[in-house]
Amino acid sequence: MIEKIDLKKVEKQTYQFTFTDGLYDMAYGSLIFFIAIAPILREILYPSYIIFLVLPAPLILILGKRFITVPRIGIAKFSQKRTKSRNKIGLLIAILFPITVVLVVLTYLGIYNIRVGGYIVPIGSGLFVLILLSVIAYVMDYPHFYLYAVSIGLGIPLASLLKPIIGDPMHYIISFGISGTLILIYGIFTLTKFIKKYPIPKEEISSV
Amino acid sequence: MSKDKNNIRDEIIPPNSIDKLIHEPARLNIMTRLYVVESADFLFMMRQTGLTFGNLSAHMSKLEEAGYIEIIKEFIGKKPHTMLKLTEKGKQAFNEYRKQMKQFFNEI
Repeated sequence: MIEKIDLKKVEKQTYQFTFTDGLYDMAYGSLIFFIAIAPILREILYPSYIIFLVLPAPLILILGKRFITVPRIGIAKFSQKRTKSRNKIGLLIAILFPITVVLVVLTYLGIYNIRVGGYIVPIGSGLFVLILLSVIAYVMDYPHFYLYAVSIGLGIPLASLLKPIIGDPMHYIISFGISGTLILIYGIFTLTKFIKKYPIPKEEISSV
Repeated sequence: MSKDKNNIRDEIIPPNSIDKLIHEPARLNIMTRLYVVESADFLFMMRQTGLTFGNLSAHMSKLEEAGYIEIIKEFIGKKPHTMLKLTEKGKQAFNEYRKQMKQFFNEI
């Protein structure tokens, strides 16, 4: 029995159990989705459309963990190694998140094409986001982040490439809308399964 | 040859020296889950082990009595909250148990 217990595997399973709520997928999917419809929102809500790019993802994560995940599966504190990695990622995301939003907005406005010319900067920006999100996926030990990295890493240069061909705002809807909607739907589906599988326990358990 | 056999018998750990408190499957599960985290609350342990509230409470009490786990009471907002943690004694006992079991299976 005991010789089959792989503690590293158990630790990884326990750690990844905290991701089974689908909230990261929903948060990232909503970010990409709002990026996709940013040109439409911009027309209607300018300048407050930025709120839709910045707020939903962190709100889904913070409120979701607080009101959905923790009451259903409780809390675990992981080893210092994990905690340090998470803190580093938190810092990296805090830096990367506004940069990504700025890069996406600038790509939409076509500033790269006007000032620099060509597709070097959009491709460079896509690569920058792709590499950083892949680093996050590796350190965070959460493979879904690789998918996020590819979706946004390809989305930025693809939007620039498609703009002269299919025009505004379709280039954004195709570049980000499809992947964003799919990730968002997957997140909602995962969260629904999670809620069904782990109902909120009786008061006597949750108050222990 | 019989001398060699006697030596082997001396080296083999008799099953009755294995920590029976940890050896019970549910408690082994609890100890393993707690070993890989810094601490976890009662609900998290229920979800991880698949044990019922009553079962987990009973096993936790036994492990606490043996000094293998520590129960930390804290408040989250105004709600009382219990975190469970493996003590140093518990970690040592678990490591010893693993060592003994590995040795036991290697020698069979």
